[in-house]
Amino acid sequence: MSMYIPSYFEFVNSAKLLAGDYALENITEEMSLLGSSRPFLLSDKGLEKVGSVKTLLDIFSKSGLKVSGVFTDIPLDSSILKVNEIASLYRKANADGIIALGGGSVIDTAKGLRMLISQGGKDILKYAGAEVLPRGMNVPFTVIPTTSGTGSEATGVAVIKDEEKEVKLEFISSYLLPDVAVLDTRMLESMPPRITAITGLDALTHAIEAYSSMQRNPVSQAYAIAAMRLIIEYLPIAIKEPHNKKARLAMANAAYIAGASFSNSMVGIVHAIGHSVGAVSGVPHGEAMSILLVPSMKYNVNEAREEYSDILLYIAGDVYASTPNENRAEKAIEVLSAFVDQIRTMAPVRKTLSEAGVKKEDFQKIANRAINDGALIVNPRAADRDDVLRILSEAF
Amino acid sequence: MIKTVKKAISNIVLLVLYRALRVLSQHDSRVRNEFEALPEGFTVALRINPSEGEIRMAKVNGRLKRIGKRDDYDVLITFKGIDAAFKVLTGQMGVARAYAEHRFTLKGDIGVTMGLVRMIDIAEAYLFPRIMTKRILRSVPYKEKSTLTIYRKVFIGV
Ligand SMILES: [Fe+2]
Repeated sequence: MSMYIPSYFEFVNSAKLLAGDYALENITEEMSLLGSSRPFLLSDKGLEKVGSVKTLLDIFSKSGLKVSGVFTDIPLDSSILKVNEIASLYRKANADGIIALGGGSVIDTAKGLRMLISQGGKDILKYAGAEVLPRGMNVPFTVIPTTSGTGSEATGVAVIKDEEKEVKLEFISSYLLPDVAVLDTRMLESMPPRITAITGLDALTHAIEAYSSMQRNPVSQAYAIAAMRLIIEYLPIAIKEPHNKKARLAMANAAYIAGASFSNSMVGIVHAIGHSVGAVSGVPHGEAMSILLVPSMKYNVNEAREEYSDILLYIAGDVYASTPNENRAEKAIEVLSAFVDQIRTMAPVRKTLSEAGVKKEDFQKIANRAINDGALIVNPRAADRDDVLRILSEAF
Repeated sequence: MIKTVKKAISNIVLLVLYRALRVLSQHDSRVRNEFEALPEGFTVALRINPSEGEIRMAKVNGRLKRIGKRDDYDVLITFKGIDAAFKVLTGQMGVARAYAEHRFTLKGDIGVTMGLVRMIDIAEAYLFPRIMTKRILRSVPYKEKSTLTIYRKVFIGV
């Protein structure tokens, strides 16, 4: 197993990570160093209801941080209208920084708000695409994830809906990365087993796709390896023992690390199809990942043979040692399949697309979307509509 | 190779690529389907920085046409420099690899651009010998029409 060195690569992971005990208490100091004393807090209704927002505000007030406003009415899909609405509240509150507490939707919306404010309130839709967003003004930005999956706190990616044109626009830029990412188990313990399970499997998929993508590089692969090892060891524990702090923190670390990895080497066909299954049939992202991971890896196996063989070493070292080299890639898929099955015995995660509510008559629609998903561009094996349809059938 | 030569060749290829896309958007069913999915008036520009070359095109009355300079395009692909652009345009580097290596920036809808990339992949399958496309494309699209037919239409116009 020799390591792959691309002829050229880039890597950025500029967010400062605060992970573990009293991480939340340290936000005051970090924001102050970044030049913010009146940050605006974004979160969602669910977190408000379970008390996470209040817990955080109490910690802030004890550590001397005064927020200038709180906004929790965040939709599932972040949109330009919502970002504009929050921006006007942000200005009215005379805020000087952003703190996001939540999952993917809150963080994406916060990234949109940060983009808008840092570009002086100008039209941000023109920055859709890859690497066209300039840095803009300094808007201190801290993210506190409440799930351990999307890794959005470590990615330079945001998806924002343009209501006028009815399209979801993807923004890829290192200037979307937050300044600070905060992993604190007090904000993670309320996750129910099913959410722990599917978000954890999302993070595992990030690591696997990033490790084997055409854009892989030694740094992103090192991150992916760390994430895989953490997830294989700690996801079952985090599901079984929701208050096990060590397991929760391990999973939060894993999601962050996997996020940093795929932010630099992209994901692949599991995500291309998964995004489409989510958009067309409403299958939750992590659950779509858990269903599509194995059939997609089988599709990629010949092109990603070396990478999948490596993966076996990191997820099951003993099996790697006892498996002949030529069988290791297939064995890795087997071990992962067994792992996902094991997770299904611990939490309600559906096994097939049909169980998850996908209709066969929507396959064409899903496939048409999937081949236009940017995640496909660096997948180890090219895929057309028919290839996607075959994977859908296998996962059905 | 000296820069001026790379620049000259790259500009010729940009023009050839445009002509190939125009021909294929009528004569290859897959490129035609991708092209028909684009809205009327859709604009796209391929640019090589810093001012090393640019080709601009639009869908006008259902046909691919060259257009003059605009302030904005629906999709703008900008190569960061001539060296990588030259490699891509002469069939030494695929678009996916160029993306993986951050060789260009992309302004616009990434989903729409995926269709453009498929169109360019098919055009490359016609323009470059298979021995080259096999190296740069993860899978080489088959040719619906003979290369000779397409070459004739691209270079001679009949
Ligand atoms: Fe994901």
